[in-house]
Amino acid sequence: MNTRRLKDVLSSRLMLAATVFAFLLLFFMAAGLFFRASPILITVPISDLLFSIEWSPFSGKFGFYPFIMGTLWVTVLATVIAIPVSLLSSIYLSEYASNGLREMVMPLVDLLAGIPSVVYGLFGVLAVVPFINDTLAPAMGAETIGGYSILAGGIVLSIMVFPIIISVTGEVMRRVSGELREVSLSLGATKWQTIKHVVLRKARPGIIAAIVLGFSRAFGETMAVLMVVGNVAKVPSSIFDPAYPLPALIANTYGEMMSIDLYDSAILLAALILLLVVLICNVIARIILVRIERGII
Amino acid sequence: MTETQISIQNLNVTYNGNHALKNISVEIPKKQITAIIGPSGCGKSTMLKCMNRLIDMTDNVTFSGKIIIDNEDVFDKKTDIINIRKKLGLLAQKPTPLPMSIYENVAFGPRIHGVKKKLVLDETVQKCLAITGLWEEVKDRLNSPASQLSIGQQQRLCLARGLAVEPEIILCDEPTSALDPVSSQHIEQQLLKLRKDYTIVIVTHNIHQAMRLADYVIHLYLGELVEHGPANDVFENPKEERTRAYINGTMFSDLKIDKEVDLKGNICPYNFVLAKQALHELSKGKVLKLVVDDPLAVTEVPRGMEADGHKVMSVKQINKTDWEVVIQKKE
Repeated sequence: MNTRRLKDVLSSRLMLAATVFAFLLLFFMAAGLFFRASPILITVPISDLLFSIEWSPFSGKFGFYPFIMGTLWVTVLATVIAIPVSLLSSIYLSEYASNGLREMVMPLVDLLAGIPSVVYGLFGVLAVVPFINDTLAPAMGAETIGGYSILAGGIVLSIMVFPIIISVTGEVMRRVSGELREVSLSLGATKWQTIKHVVLRKARPGIIAAIVLGFSRAFGETMAVLMVVGNVAKVPSSIFDPAYPLPALIANTYGEMMSIDLYDSAILLAALILLLVVLICNVIARIILVRIERGII
Repeated sequence: MTETQISIQNLNVTYNGNHALKNISVEIPKKQITAIIGPSGCGKSTMLKCMNRLIDMTDNVTFSGKIIIDNEDVFDKKTDIINIRKKLGLLAQKPTPLPMSIYENVAFGPRIHGVKKKLVLDETVQKCLAITGLWEEVKDRLNSPASQLSIGQQQRLCLARGLAVEPEIILCDEPTSALDPVSSQHIEQQLLKLRKDYTIVIVTHNIHQAMRLADYVIHLYLGELVEHGPANDVFENPKEERTRAYINGTMFSDLKIDKEVDLKGNICPYNFVLAKQALHELSKGKVLKLVVDDPLAVTEVPRGMEADGHKVMSVKQINKTDWEVVIQKKE
């Protein structure tokens, strides 16, 4: 009798502890990064760190601007490619496709999200990079460094973002009530008019949330981008230029030139920036989605 | 005989192997209010959905038969369903404003049918809102979201939105069941006003509403057409026993109680005397509800009242000790 109760108490406490631990981990990571990054935050003004284009650790110049711009170029390009493709396919899946087809395709879409990013990277190196180098860049009259470019990164990343946007958007669109569709149809609207003016309008906050989630996934993605983007620390001026996004910088250099003053601190600051941006994007998107679920929006 | 607007011939609908409508043939008269009555799940809403082909939206459904509107068969593949739907406005059970402003809601219909001129749209919006009595209430906030209106106003907005595409027929699917009594009354008044210009088909489970509104009545029961005819004939003198039972049954279940008297703690014959007194104060046809806890009263009070010529409508136990007796005063 008492052991039974003891087990009950213990198990609930244990689960609470596990939950708290998982939550605190995030907090400790952010706090740890901030603590280790503070030396450089004290010595160099934050505006210099964010907006200086000079990156020469040996002379103590830590301008993150090229890396931040590299990250933004790749991420924005990936999002721009991913939005139309994934929106159209999720509209098709949730509005036009038969139940059978949807049930068959959706697990495949989720599977796409589970493929290791290094595999996407390899695909990028073996297929996308040569395609840009041999076909696309010459056709557009652009110069590339062997095809390694922001465009290659954007294409590979966009494929990785598809499943997130498709599944979240589809979910939100299927939540739009049948009554609303019936109202529009009964007024004589065609199916497409109904989708365009009613379903998409009602689902708009959710679609924005899906895009923000996709954006934050692309923002933090490291391996696949690092393999195809060229990794040159220069502010890019076209999608055929190479770039050096923040995650690639961290993965490539952390642990190597640690004897240089403040280097460790600079890299950890980059990690902190990444963590915060991804965290904020996720929180915003989740808040929107939770509000949709509760029927507030 | 009045003109026919909608002619339904041998309509059969099956959902997932469930025969929802069985061989229905009926004609719906033009510019009258036709009420489709019957208990929940008898196929009333399905019948409406067949008329504007929203039944297409349902999975695993098969239908056969003919629905003729203006010499066109709704089920015929060659028929332009957009055109048919334009002729049939729909007022849904739950007020369903589109996720846009009040103005946009009403302008939605004309817009999708190609009206672009702002002036024409403005005029339509004002006209339709005025018909439903909403114009004065919302004219200063046409651009605010329709979801900010009260539920009753939302339903009138939905009616206005339907009118904006200039339908000939208005289909109403229990249009007041989500509304408070005042808003319901408002909608009913609008429908009565609209009757002279439109053919109205209203699905309702509220028999009083059907009596107040209908010119013509169709009674469905478990997918079968039990009876149909002019409202007076059906309500006053139903041909079918099932119709009679349905009308009486629902009338008693949502009876309006005029007076309530608590006789708990009183024993016979005092409770009988008190009940008689209470009934004496009511006029003919009014309904008295008694609550008694004396076991003897449960049988004796109704018996005595019936002996006096009143009508005992129901006797039921409401908790362990108490009983409820409902009596209608006669003579």
